[in-house]
Amino acid sequence: MLDELVAGALEDQQARARETSLDELKAMAAQAPAPRDAKRWLRHDDGIPVIAEIKRASPSKGHLTDIQHPGELAAEYAAGGASAISVLTEGRRFLGSLADLDEVRAAVDIPVLRKDFITTDYQIWEARAHGADLVLLIVAALGDDELVHLLALTHELGMTALVETHTREEIDRAIAAGAQVIGINARNLKNLRVDVGTYRELAHNLPDDVIKVAESGVFGAVEVQDYGRAGADAVLVGEGVATADDHELAVQRLVKAGATVKASEQTPLSTHEGPYFGEYGGRYVPEALVSALDELERVYAQAKADPEFHKELARLNRQYVGRPSPLTEAPRFAERIKERTGLDARVFLKREDLNHTGAHKINNAIGQALLVKRMGKTRVIAETGAGQHGVATATVCAMMGLKCRIYMGQIDARRQALNVARMRMLGAEVVEVTLGDRILKDAINEALRDWVTNVKDTHYLLGTVAGPHPFPAMVRDFQKIIGEEAKEQLQEWYGIDHPDAICACVGGGSNAIGIMNAFLDDDRVNLYGFEAGGEGPESGRHAIRFAPGTGELGMFQGAKSYLLENSEGQTLDTYSISAGLDYASVGPEHAWLKDIGRVTYSWATDGEAMSAFKDLCETEGIIPAIESSHAIAGAYKAALDLKAKGYEHPVMIINVSGRGDKDMNTAGKWFGYLTDEQSKALEANGAQGNNA
Amino acid sequence: MREFNETIIEVEQDGTPSGQPLGISHAPSRCGELFARYKERNMPAFIGYLPFGFPDTELSLEAFRTMVDNGVDIVEIGLPYSDPVMDGPVIQAASQIALRNGERIADVFRAVETVANAGGIPLIMSYWNLIFHYGVERFAADFANAGGAGLITPDLIPDEAGEWIEASDRHGLDRIFLVSPDSTDERLRIVAKNARGFVYAASRMGVTGERDTINASPERLVARARAAGAQNVCVGIGVSTPQQGATVGQYADGVIVGSALVHTLLDDQGDVKDPVQGMGALANTTASLAEAIHHCRL
Repeated sequence: MLDELVAGALEDQQARARETSLDELKAMAAQAPAPRDAKRWLRHDDGIPVIAEIKRASPSKGHLTDIQHPGELAAEYAAGGASAISVLTEGRRFLGSLADLDEVRAAVDIPVLRKDFITTDYQIWEARAHGADLVLLIVAALGDDELVHLLALTHELGMTALVETHTREEIDRAIAAGAQVIGINARNLKNLRVDVGTYRELAHNLPDDVIKVAESGVFGAVEVQDYGRAGADAVLVGEGVATADDHELAVQRLVKAGATVKASEQTPLSTHEGPYFGEYGGRYVPEALVSALDELERVYAQAKADPEFHKELARLNRQYVGRPSPLTEAPRFAERIKERTGLDARVFLKREDLNHTGAHKINNAIGQALLVKRMGKTRVIAETGAGQHGVATATVCAMMGLKCRIYMGQIDARRQALNVARMRMLGAEVVEVTLGDRILKDAINEALRDWVTNVKDTHYLLGTVAGPHPFPAMVRDFQKIIGEEAKEQLQEWYGIDHPDAICACVGGGSNAIGIMNAFLDDDRVNLYGFEAGGEGPESGRHAIRFAPGTGELGMFQGAKSYLLENSEGQTLDTYSISAGLDYASVGPEHAWLKDIGRVTYSWATDGEAMSAFKDLCETEGIIPAIESSHAIAGAYKAALDLKAKGYEHPVMIINVSGRGDKDMNTAGKWFGYLTDEQSKALEANGAQGNNA
Repeated sequence: MREFNETIIEVEQDGTPSGQPLGISHAPSRCGELFARYKERNMPAFIGYLPFGFPDTELSLEAFRTMVDNGVDIVEIGLPYSDPVMDGPVIQAASQIALRNGERIADVFRAVETVANAGGIPLIMSYWNLIFHYGVERFAADFANAGGAGLITPDLIPDEAGEWIEASDRHGLDRIFLVSPDSTDERLRIVAKNARGFVYAASRMGVTGERDTINASPERLVARARAAGAQNVCVGIGVSTPQQGATVGQYADGVIVGSALVHTLLDDQGDVKDPVQGMGALANTTASLAEAIHHCRL
């Protein structure tokens, strides 16, 4: 087939040569508009350039579409943001012509590719004479010498060659011949689908200065994203744009998809902005919330650039929250780690438990409340599971004079009756959610419904680094002070340059992101996140999203991330002894950090967490929240990992995200410190702790 | 032997045309065609919603048939979801009943066929995770095969819909996105540009559910959506009585009723009614809504 096409193209070329001599072509080429340096168009840091093709037919699909005016079509492609136009000039099977090329050349200012079965100097000169900036060379149709020769002629004429390959061997030949732009055809020949795995294999280890163009099977946004994530610099698309009803819109969508991929992988990690973290995040929300999210994003961007905002936030953190929270060395607890693991570590605790309201949640609540003021909204709603975020929100609303309503699942409200009372004391209205499973996720659903209804005057003060953009990045920004302080305190109080490891618990993930952010771009620091293991991953009673066989990719409450769902895509019930980690999904940034291997995620079971809870109480006189106890239990696991990595005297920081007073009933029952009578009395009060 | 791009493949795959990925289907929008016909007759369409599998799978099939037999033009088949953030108490309750009674997404294509066989246009309304989890391309293929016409996606905005736009283009399915009274003109343009079939205008800010009154905002929203390029605009959320349907039908291309139909199958306690009684009530309510909507401009 290729031989036939090449022979046909050659025959047609010879016929043209009888009309127009090579010398005449050379004279035409001298008059042609100067060639554009296509390489500058085909690689960008902030996007995946699209080469859009004028394509009427192909041998495999037959007739695709009539194109009366290729110039107009090219102009539509260009208006949609195409970086180059590919013009098929082969006439027999693809129904193209040099007249098409002329029309396209006259219509657009971006590079134009002549796509044909090129095997002769004449065809290269012809391309230039008709104003092409790029030509296609097919490795499979050329011997090594021919390839070298035609490539050199192309470069001599100031053009760029898109050198098409199908196999690794062809790629090596192309590179040896001096190809600068390589087209990779990665279609799976068995099912004809684009196979990104094949592409990855083929494109593996190409020199950095070679531009990689994904050439086959690109149809819509899906393939652009897949190829983009696999490392393609540019894509070539034919049918998907040529046969679209709206050509400009079709190209636009591809360009946007490419820009999204590039933005989603931007580094440094510590300042990565949404809406996407790798493939995670986004805004999977009703259209009715888009205006509010846009407004929030805009107002937050303004605030971020406003020194007065930072001054006010810093003042409140210092004078109201009591920041900085200390970094406390824990030598007696370190001794336990040594006994248990044999690792001689120095252990430090970041004391978010000493903040006003007893947890890290207030860092975010204050930041967002200031934004509420800036937006001129008067009403705040929030969800809460264990009650920590609800209390923090009710607290800042009382302090700033904002109307506040907290949604809490009925089951959570019952097991956290004292926190409900606290919120009410602070002037908040607490709504017990009786719908769904009556836990945290149902409280979030109800808060979202409230927000959809009252979005004009209401701000949804989301408590973690989950939900739709801009929440994950914004909440991270309000929590990153934890890590920034810890870094400085380690240096100034203890004279240690950097920690070797950070341990944090991960529910939605805000305290973990908060302490990790300052260290994300420092490879010397090992980062460990611990999920709620409940009764273990096999029990089906846990909130582990990252372990194999647990979470899957899904959309939940506004973001794409790992999600615990059943075979039908319905959200699974989760379980943990700690209500604050008991959530079916996880912040999108964590999902990304897991995928790129920057953070090691594991879990601590109820039993491990409770045992660590006791260890810290006994060794350091510090009662951690049960949520934070998962990080403390995790420290033992991290120590084993550090030991395996060869560390002898590592420095570890554990984030104590909250204090454990709220958990005393649970702990009392767990360790048998309460008599049956006391336990019953507590239950009668509805204050039996959160493992009820 | 090898040659460039997909030409190679043709040789090796000749005779297995099904092996080629589908191109863009240029099949006309089924909803679009209906609206064109109805516009000639100066008549709005009646779009009725019920969750699939409510009260159970078999009864829900009967309910869909009943709706079409009594005048529903386009049936919005809801897929029950554990976390329906755009739905009020009635539809939440119905969805939970369906899930408890063993609703399965693979069976929804039976409902699609039922509606199509009864002469209605089947749409599915689904929260995005269900479709995503099933596989977007796979769902589009199965849905199109069953005779489906399009998807209403309450929590998927065009900005996130790349995969769905591609799959719906390949299978010729309608894409129905929502707009709400506070959508900016820019958002209306984005939705109108990416929609296929019609644009779903929410009558008010908030979740689904019946209301005694409908304010003036949907009429303005419909006008703004049209100005932003939407060809067909239907109004839903909060439309529950024949009178409301007739009012909305004056200016909308279609009137969408959901909770009021769901309600006919529930008793005052929110429990499922006796099926015979329920179907009777559904038929009556549907018929009186259809009468009011279809004749409102006469």
